[in-house]
Amino acid sequence: MRCNYCEWRCELGPQQYGVCQMYYVDQGEIRERFPHRWSSYSVSRMESLPLYHAYPGARCMTIGTTSCNFMCRYCSNGFVARRDPAEQIARMYVLSPEEMVRMARKLGCHNIVFNVNEPTVSLQTLAELKVHADEAGLPMGCLTNGYTTEESTELLCSIFSFMNISLKGFTPEFYQEYLGARDLEPVLRNIRRIAQTCHVEVTTPVIQGVNDGELMEMADFVADIDPQIPWHVFRLLPEHEMTEARYPSIDAINEALHDVRKKLDYVYFHNFVGSDWVNTICPGCGHEVIERFSLGCGGDRLCAFDCQDNRCPVCGQEIKIHGTRVLWNAMEVAR
Amino acid sequence: MSVVIVDAREWQNMLDLRTGKKIQVDSPAVTMTRGVLKRHPYPGDLDLQSNRWVTDTALDLIHTYTPRLVCLSYAQQYFSSRFKPLTEKELAQMINDVFEEAERFLNESGYTPVIVGTGDMTELAGEMELSKLDGLAFTSGWSARYAGLHQPSIRDLEHISGLPGFERLVSREEWINLFDAAPYDAEIIPDYLLVAREGWSFRAAGTPLRRAVRVPAACFSIPVATPLGEAQNITGIRALVEKNLENTKIALIVIEGVGLRHFPLPHAACSNSVDWYYYEPGEGQYLTLTTGIHQVFTYPSGYRYHQEDHEQKEYPLSGYFTKMTEHTLGEDFNGRSIAVGNRSMFTHMVYGADISVECFARNLYNQGCMAVIHRTK
Repeated sequence: MRCNYCEWRCELGPQQYGVCQMYYVDQGEIRERFPHRWSSYSVSRMESLPLYHAYPGARCMTIGTTSCNFMCRYCSNGFVARRDPAEQIARMYVLSPEEMVRMARKLGCHNIVFNVNEPTVSLQTLAELKVHADEAGLPMGCLTNGYTTEESTELLCSIFSFMNISLKGFTPEFYQEYLGARDLEPVLRNIRRIAQTCHVEVTTPVIQGVNDGELMEMADFVADIDPQIPWHVFRLLPEHEMTEARYPSIDAINEALHDVRKKLDYVYFHNFVGSDWVNTICPGCGHEVIERFSLGCGGDRLCAFDCQDNRCPVCGQEIKIHGTRVLWNAMEVAR
Repeated sequence: MSVVIVDAREWQNMLDLRTGKKIQVDSPAVTMTRGVLKRHPYPGDLDLQSNRWVTDTALDLIHTYTPRLVCLSYAQQYFSSRFKPLTEKELAQMINDVFEEAERFLNESGYTPVIVGTGDMTELAGEMELSKLDGLAFTSGWSARYAGLHQPSIRDLEHISGLPGFERLVSREEWINLFDAAPYDAEIIPDYLLVAREGWSFRAAGTPLRRAVRVPAACFSIPVATPLGEAQNITGIRALVEKNLENTKIALIVIEGVGLRHFPLPHAACSNSVDWYYYEPGEGQYLTLTTGIHQVFTYPSGYRYHQEDHEQKEYPLSGYFTKMTEHTLGEDFNGRSIAVGNRSMFTHMVYGADISVECFARNLYNQGCMAVIHRTK
């Protein structure tokens, strides 16, 4: 029986688990091997994920499971995402969806964001979590590589109302060589589809000399969907198999983004401490409507929000924001 | 105003330490420090060259600034032993290497050493998961032995007392009464402190994603090696340094993850504890060492630091430090001082040196390095 969660469409059996090693077949149905198991839960700032245009200032409970359907050579969470999930399972948290939502409330979080590994490998558990999160009034978001099938993309959209989708390159060759995936096309298809119903931000880690020449094409693609989609250009942090790689030049990438910024309203360049390019500038008049501070991998934070009712106070231009600005310590939820 | 220079490799920016706002300052100290950062890119917390980076950077810095007090933190062996499955031989080699680096600094600089080991590491015996409580358990600061418990139920307390690696439950009042500590905000102290037996660790909200293979051992005493005398207690190390600074150029060298068991130099044992409580490597131990006062409640184990992480929080580059620590060794010393360490986030806060250089890494992710110029003399 073939898995229909991601575009690998792996052949599954009772002891045949596919590329991600997270699903199997039992009595003619695809099931998760490790339901309700979590590698982590913690508190994070929305801006750290990064999600810059959804619930600015919110306190998120970030969660993750284990494994991935990509094999990124630079994976920053390889110690969770690239290891055999069966080896990790004894050290994972066992929490039912109800317990997970209760934890989010105890931590005073305003939403739940799946950000450690790829949500596609745990969609059944996440669909269950969605039911309980809805009851508690907690929106759910995620970071995804966008390699879902058309069917499971619909499931993804039904679970998450805001997503940051990685567009890691713009050629099939890059996806094959650096990410271990088959193709780029499903990712492009899914970004188009998800942007129709969910809040979408896009992230691209730049490997100098490899995918920096594709930035303009990527910007054209995103702009064609919606020039107001926020785009996070990341300076690659060489991890996992690429720890010996050179850190990309910040000045060179910033220079390459000069023309890209004319195509999209919200282009950010970060993933390094002290970045100058994390603030939101009103596309109408150039007023700085949201100020942030970037600690790179230490996480970004909201510093100032001059954008009441999601409009620029100077020219009245609407600023694309999903939800509303949230005070960090608002709604400290009692047990 | 304390000036921050961040160096993200081939790119630098200058910020105000308190606000995080971009600033422009031109001074000889800024020019000098920029050059030091540029010449010494940080290799990474687990890289075997990481401790060499401390020595090289410090030697470069003292060449121009000529301080009387040098504070160094060497932490690579601590990070590696905590997260990598090393053999005893590999561990021994790392400890040998870090002492060679300290010795290289001393030989090339001529400073008189006060070398402090923060305590040994021991293999992780087991973890106690605290996710299913009615109340909220929280771990902070990479602490293994301690966790905070907030608003527990009777059922929680019964459950915890039956956990295999559990040592003791300490109420807030009992904990506070144990110490003659620096001023603190009692509100942030958890209702209960949970204490694990040696080798055991708690897992709860706040526990890092990366799993440890070793944790700090039970170190009620730590080694101090110096020709300047003896300190009976961790709070006495500062005085030992201070009283000799007038006549001697001193290097206070903190070697992380090494305690009485593995310390290779002749040393005296110095108390690292009060009754049942001992310091694990971290900001509490550092602050106690550099202020001479117990700092156990400034950022107490298991407190919900995220509640203070609102957008008005100052010192965004200093982790969960919300204010400058007063009366640190560096701040109170009227001569010149520097600090260099591959302990990110708080080196600039705990020593209070005029100029400090530290790696900028978070959860072992290497982002470069950072210098803080508090003052120049």
